[in-house]
Amino acid sequence: MAEISFPLPDLGEGLIEATVLEWLVSPGEQVERNQPLVEVETTKSAVELPSPQAGKVVRIYGGPGDKINVGEPLIVFEVPDNTAGIVGTVPKEEAPKRRVRLSAVLDED
Amino acid sequence: MTGFRQAQSPDAPTPHPEAPGKRTEQLSMQQALNRALDEVLAENPKAVIFGEDCGRLGGVFRITDGLQAKHGEKRVFDTPLAESGILGMSVGLAMAGFHPIPEVQFDGFAYPAVNQIICQIARMNYRSRGTLPMPITLRVPSFGGIRAPEHHGESLEALFAHVPGLKVVSPSNPHEAYHLLKYAATRPDPVIFMEPKSRYWQKGDVDFGAADAPGAGSPAGAPTGAKVMREGRHLTLIAWGAMVSRCLQVAGLAAEDGIDVEVLDLRWIKPIDADALVASVRKTRRAVVVHEAPLTSGLGAEVAQLVTQGCFDTLKAPVERVTGFDVPYPSGDLEDEYIPNIDRILFGIQRVLEYKRG
Repeated sequence: MAEISFPLPDLGEGLIEATVLEWLVSPGEQVERNQPLVEVETTKSAVELPSPQAGKVVRIYGGPGDKINVGEPLIVFEVPDNTAGIVGTVPKEEAPKRRVRLSAVLDED
Repeated sequence: MTGFRQAQSPDAPTPHPEAPGKRTEQLSMQQALNRALDEVLAENPKAVIFGEDCGRLGGVFRITDGLQAKHGEKRVFDTPLAESGILGMSVGLAMAGFHPIPEVQFDGFAYPAVNQIICQIARMNYRSRGTLPMPITLRVPSFGGIRAPEHHGESLEALFAHVPGLKVVSPSNPHEAYHLLKYAATRPDPVIFMEPKSRYWQKGDVDFGAADAPGAGSPAGAPTGAKVMREGRHLTLIAWGAMVSRCLQVAGLAAEDGIDVEVLDLRWIKPIDADALVASVRKTRRAVVVHEAPLTSGLGAEVAQLVTQGCFDTLKAPVERVTGFDVPYPSGDLEDEYIPNIDRILFGIQRVLEYKRG
């Protein structure tokens, strides 16, 4: 298993921090991609952050009222080693399939 | 296939799978590369690893996972998203006596660094009459097969192989990955290390003792040159990187039809082991070269020429090439049509088998 840390992303317009309003997931919980993780408030608005990926929540940072700077850890996921790539998908290992058969008269000269 | 395993003497302690000092272990290529880098950092205090997300995250493919925590932020660190800077910094570090092991996160991101690679890294040693060697091991997750977006599935081996001063290598399995990376990272020359990203997760036995069986490879046991991965009598399939495992599958299927196929893993794309090519095809008298890169001016042409030069009198058919197409690498939905598949390789073999001299 591998751990993947997700830092607080830049929420736009030069905001440098956000305040946690409410965590919508807790450690130990399995989350899906795009599932709302946490509600945070910036000086502009309150927003729900969707999960960037599926995985088991290992740690969350900050409780209600705590400020988190952009780029600091927000949440850590645990994922199986073979899904730990961030771009693309793991190719499936399957038995080789064929449609072409070989035919040849092999003279051993 | 995975090389030399030490014969057990009756006096030797019984090896335990978890015992330290064990010689063989089953690892994925990702784990094998991570192990190799860990050992390189421990053995060479001048080795430094850097790239986009290489430090805290451990790389998008986890190849540098845990290395920053273990070896510190001065040895393993993140860079800005600027490949020209990553490779430009490598030039300066190499001049200052370091052994940089930079990562370009994906093949297609190497293009912005081509100026640094070709105009500086490749020729600094030559330009300085040997006073400024460039011991740089550039890791590039390469080739396609993982349904990634544009610029994430390219095959740059012919581009780099064409540049004097660069060495180019690609491992085909975890054992090769461990040994080739450890070897590359001790070279005094720049090495482009092309990791087949579609093979990162498949496991295989890694023999930590020796790269190659006795008698193969270089006399010192170093993983130089090509390697026969399966012996056969009727035809040689030549490949590197991710295509080696596909060729081994094809060889298994060809055997069902009574065709005995030898599979040669080129390993080093530059320099190419012409002796191994010729030795194999002298025996089988037929050759098919397989690569993901487009056909025109691909490395298959170089291989075909070397084989023809060395085996012209005994070849039973022209060397066949089974490759990607002369188009930009397609989106993930189409990559199974682009990358040589089992049937296309079998067709290539069939064309060689049924060739009749005019």
